[in-house]
Amino acid sequence: MLIMEKDWITLLKNAKKTCISQNNLRKVHYELEDGQEMVEEYNMDTEVLTRRAWRKKSKIKSNDEWDIEIGDPEPKLAENESLIIQENSNQPFITKRITKKNIEWRIRNLSYPIETYNVTADSTKNKIIVSTSNKKYYKEISIPELKRVNLLPEQSSLCISHKFNTLIITYKKPNKFLELENIIFEEVKKLVPKNDGVGDCKQS
Amino acid sequence: MAAAAAAKVQEVREITRIERIGAHSHIRGLGLDDSLEARQVSQGMVGQLSARRAVGIVLQMVREGRIAGRAVLLAGQPGTGKTAIATALAAALGIDTPFTSMAGSEIYSLEMGKTEALTQAIRKSIGVRIKEESEIIEGEVVEVQIERPATGVGSKVGKLILKTTDMETVYDLGGKMIDSIMKEKVQAGDVITIDKATGKISRLGRSFTRARDYDATGQQTRFVQCPEGELQKRKEVVHTVTLHEIDVINSRTHGFLALFSGDTGEIKAEVREQINGKVAEWREEGKAEIIPGVLFIDEVHMLDIECFSFLNRALENEMSPIVIMATNRGITRIRGTNYKSPHGIPLDLLDRMIIVPTVPYNEKELKEILSIRCEEEDCQMSDDALVVLTRICTETSLRYAIQLITTSSLIARKRKAVEVGVEDVKRAYTLFLDEARSIQYLREYQKEFMFDETDEPAEMDVS
Repeated sequence: MLIMEKDWITLLKNAKKTCISQNNLRKVHYELEDGQEMVEEYNMDTEVLTRRAWRKKSKIKSNDEWDIEIGDPEPKLAENESLIIQENSNQPFITKRITKKNIEWRIRNLSYPIETYNVTADSTKNKIIVSTSNKKYYKEISIPELKRVNLLPEQSSLCISHKFNTLIITYKKPNKFLELENIIFEEVKKLVPKNDGVGDCKQS
Repeated sequence: MAAAAAAKVQEVREITRIERIGAHSHIRGLGLDDSLEARQVSQGMVGQLSARRAVGIVLQMVREGRIAGRAVLLAGQPGTGKTAIATALAAALGIDTPFTSMAGSEIYSLEMGKTEALTQAIRKSIGVRIKEESEIIEGEVVEVQIERPATGVGSKVGKLILKTTDMETVYDLGGKMIDSIMKEKVQAGDVITIDKATGKISRLGRSFTRARDYDATGQQTRFVQCPEGELQKRKEVVHTVTLHEIDVINSRTHGFLALFSGDTGEIKAEVREQINGKVAEWREEGKAEIIPGVLFIDEVHMLDIECFSFLNRALENEMSPIVIMATNRGITRIRGTNYKSPHGIPLDLLDRMIIVPTVPYNEKELKEILSIRCEEEDCQMSDDALVVLTRICTETSLRYAIQLITTSSLIARKRKAVEVGVEDVKRAYTLFLDEARSIQYLREYQKEFMFDETDEPAEMDVS
């Protein structure tokens, strides 16, 4: 996804932040100094980042698309006229989520047995590589979290499981990343939500 | 199975439709040598040496891309190759330079104003080359499935299966994508790339694993390795789009309003201004490059005085393309006024133009054109017949003579002859009247037609 050469913390600290809260969710909108836009969503009960999305900037099209880094993809609208080309809905797709201790990827619609998959941490490419022995699926997963703390992926932190047509890849968060997350979460806590309590559409 | 077969038949039919023979499909370029001197017969062009050389210089000007807003007028009698020269210019410019061709009467529409139509045409003729990171799908085609609904109405449904050495994915196709896949004749075994945002397909070649499929392959067939790794990649690609396309993408109204506005319609001036500003910004940042193209307006005397004054102003803009106009009129009324002017174009606009005259062809050139057309229309003609046809051509018109090629070849085929003989041409000549004979016929039998008004000759009003 996006490569951060700059220190992640200073980048976020210097960004212009807007925050709103809805129930137990706190949503933060960042306008980064390099012109990028990012949105994060934190669950304040579990203190876990549930979503993060980057605005896609296209020169030709007007901008209304988001690149989801963490969390479930936006639900797709019903097929419309503008469809050009798109993966079939029974094709594998990947989502990523963060839990307290792990980074998790779920690849759904993968029906092959677990022996088929070969998941390796490739330190030269700085990616996790998923391949299948039947040559049906292949994916290089980049891990921006590790890049932000300058770590390389390690095979020993990886573990996989397969159930309900879904391949689950778990990667144990390194300590350095946990520290970074804590610092940022403290920052988020400090923010004052713009609509604390008010602004909810309450229907009588 | 039957549905699949039906789809196949349809596919073949749609491909042949693209390869029909048009009036100028024999033209492949201007036929100039390296020093821009016109060759007598080359790339489908014959004679008209000075006009072709002049247009060659205009071509050079367009290629350098520094001069904006010049106007060139091709003036000459009917059938002296004005449209042919414009077509040749378009072919010589290549696909990367935008070339818009329109007829003067196309601007009169109920859906949009005259100046809107002209502005759209002008903006279609300016290309912008933008570098952008884009999602590219690159793989070998395993299967293309295109199904049309059994009722015949509704949109087509398509699936495309692509693979690399490591993976395989099924894609759903939209209507436009299906059309371009049919047009590009994509089939199993081709290695292609698809730009996910624009749907542009480019064919890289055929996969090596398919090298033994046929004993005979065309010379141009290039064999490539099946790609590796993921099907979908992010790559920096260069898009060439026209300003009009950017306008349309950015002006599309969202929500329910989209139901009421048609596909094109008028584009707001603010949208255009915004896009001009953006494009200028990108150009300064080195992100985009502007390619001024060519706008060709055929039958330019059909424009009226408002359009001419609009053009006067539009040509002064530094973003305007080179405008080439063609007319076959002499001194005539300017549409929308009672003033007469050369070519039906106001003098102030004429003053801004450089005028390239085309002259009538001589007999030798006519013969050359006819033989080129015979080849294009796939018609074997004997030398005597060609001489007779050239004779007809000098006495009637080039267009009439070209009409006789296919008709006489069909007559020849009826009598199972290998080539078209003199008698076939004569037969076609007697079956189909040319303009002069038709007038003569009318004069003789005028009294027997309806609404006979020979006593008061009315001048033809074209404006």
